[in-house]
Amino acid sequence: MAIFNRLPNLKQIAPVYAICVIVIYSWTIVWFFWTVPAWLFYLNIWEILLIYAYLVATNFLESLLVICAPIGLSFILPSRWFRDTFVARGTSLVVLGLGYFMFLADQFQNRDDYPSILLKLWSVALASGLILLLVFIVGKTSFIKKAVEFIAEQATVFLFISIPISLISLVVVLPRLI
Amino acid sequence: MSKISRRDFLKLTSALSGALALSKLPSNLSLLKSGESPSRPNILIFVFDAMSAKNLSLYGYKRNTTPNFERFAKRATVYNAHYSAGSFTPPGTASLLTGLYPWTHRAINDAGLIARNLIDRNIFRLVGDQYHRLAFSQNLWPNYFFAQFQKDIDEILPAGSFSQVDYVFGEKFNKDLLTTQRAFDDFLFSQGSPPKSLVFSLIERISLHRTLAHTNQGGYPNGLPTLNNYPIYFRLPDVFDGLMSTIENLKPASLAYLHLWPPHDPYNPSKQFYRTFDDGWSPIEKPVHPLGDHWSPKSMYNFRRAYDEYIASLDYEFGRLLDFLESKGVFETSYVVITSDHGEILERGERGHVSPLLYEEGIQVPLMISSPGQKSRQDIYSPTISVDIAPTLAHLAGNTIPDWREGELLPLLGGQELSERSIFTLYALRDSAFEKLTKISIAMRKGDHKMIFYRGYYPDGDKFELYDLPNDPEELNDLYSNNSSIAKALQEELLAKLEAVNAPYKS
Repeated sequence: MAIFNRLPNLKQIAPVYAICVIVIYSWTIVWFFWTVPAWLFYLNIWEILLIYAYLVATNFLESLLVICAPIGLSFILPSRWFRDTFVARGTSLVVLGLGYFMFLADQFQNRDDYPSILLKLWSVALASGLILLLVFIVGKTSFIKKAVEFIAEQATVFLFISIPISLISLVVVLPRLI
Repeated sequence: MSKISRRDFLKLTSALSGALALSKLPSNLSLLKSGESPSRPNILIFVFDAMSAKNLSLYGYKRNTTPNFERFAKRATVYNAHYSAGSFTPPGTASLLTGLYPWTHRAINDAGLIARNLIDRNIFRLVGDQYHRLAFSQNLWPNYFFAQFQKDIDEILPAGSFSQVDYVFGEKFNKDLLTTQRAFDDFLFSQGSPPKSLVFSLIERISLHRTLAHTNQGGYPNGLPTLNNYPIYFRLPDVFDGLMSTIENLKPASLAYLHLWPPHDPYNPSKQFYRTFDDGWSPIEKPVHPLGDHWSPKSMYNFRRAYDEYIASLDYEFGRLLDFLESKGVFETSYVVITSDHGEILERGERGHVSPLLYEEGIQVPLMISSPGQKSRQDIYSPTISVDIAPTLAHLAGNTIPDWREGELLPLLGGQELSERSIFTLYALRDSAFEKLTKISIAMRKGDHKMIFYRGYYPDGDKFELYDLPNDPEELNDLYSNNSSIAKALQEELLAKLEAVNAPYKS
């Protein structure tokens, strides 16, 4: 069907998704390992693993949500703008977008003290515009494009770990919630 | 006519007093649905977090912080030397809920849990399933215990009930409360550091930020009352209105455990009480403690002023609750318990309660219990402790007093004054719940004396302090170095106790 022709194929999506997974899961797992020593004071190993299952399940949902952004752009934009260079532009969009999220997150050292300017509409629009410009440049610059594609392809190996762990986590978590 | 023996006379008088007490239970009880008769008294427990007895005019504090609590005291038994067994929320509340000392229940850390093999030991089970058992805590850490006791509680109200802003997420998953609270509220959406996940946590934080920007904070010059570690913001009148509505809808007979955040830090008094205690008064100056935070006298003055004003704000709302309870006849049908999980230190350069300093401000808490139909005040001066509350509740509910209890029945509620018993308060935040206690401070009260013991805080080993409380209520004159026989006896008893409670654990 023509409508599906506008979407990237699985081989294109996998490297971009792998980058999503690496960034999203790593951010949480770094904080997790930062917290585990304190938890070991009063939680046993099974309780900690159960919490970890919730975190992975959350990260899994987040990664699915984030991968929708490049897929959505690919669907909306003309093929030669995005779909034909999906791995390079999708990866750069994901990396830059999540990088911007990291920057925003890092400003929240505590709940009462946040630079509100970063949440103004013009501020978000400016950052988004800058990210899209960089994504466009990545697709146009052959050397960067190839480097990004190479890194993304290599990253797919992490899917062999993350997807089974995520599925196990869902199997653990869902029956406990429903 | 045969002669009545002394034993028979005592039996007769106790039977008569029991009959008299029962006759005081009114026949038309507002907490009961029409047609039902009262078989057991309701039990309402109000816990005000971090409320030091030392800052309440009820207990002789210079500032008039608690006129309405004093009004309540006129119909209650007032315990004048009541202690919490823990100096911050998890150990203090767990001791109250289980009747066990922190070295037994092991909820000794921030956000800690009760030992998994002891979760059947709790007040909800002790009163039994003939009671409708309701639990509510604005502080999330007691909610962890509620999750552990879930099968013994009929109704758990969310921490954010009656709040203006509630961004607590984990408790929405009732089926796996313990883990979801931990995973979401204590980790992914925890507030003290950057968001722990890049999408949902960040969205939550931004959304909270925007919500707060659009929330009316009027009436509270320091900002809306809030928890210092979770995103719940509330107005005191709303919370008390919510409590009244909850109490009005209770089924007979009910046990309601209602744990409120105020007057816990941050101290956000209402406009009515803001700066009402800016009177230049400070209590007697005490030397800065080497283990304290070394706050300046000016800061200490401001902390104390704000804390007292927050207590006065709370007291004002408590007055409304008191009027409500009186108008609904609740006092005729119910035991009403007022207490706290721990105190608040505002002396010796230290501020707060998560501290190894176990002076009276930090560990002496209010305890008042109004019995059904009680019309006059009674005072108890012998030391009591929070682990006494659970067995007393079992007794008041007409159930068996558990043999595993570590406290005693409270005087005038089935127990006797035991002025020479030893009671303990423990601080072991930096220790593992699964191992021996090695970095701790313990306060032991026995008779007139109080010993404070520190292990793991000083490079030259254990340190002891000893005070004669009736003659030195401000704990300024350390008698330990006098080498008295009392110091020696207390030290031996305290160390023997520590060795005994550590025995089951590995190093």
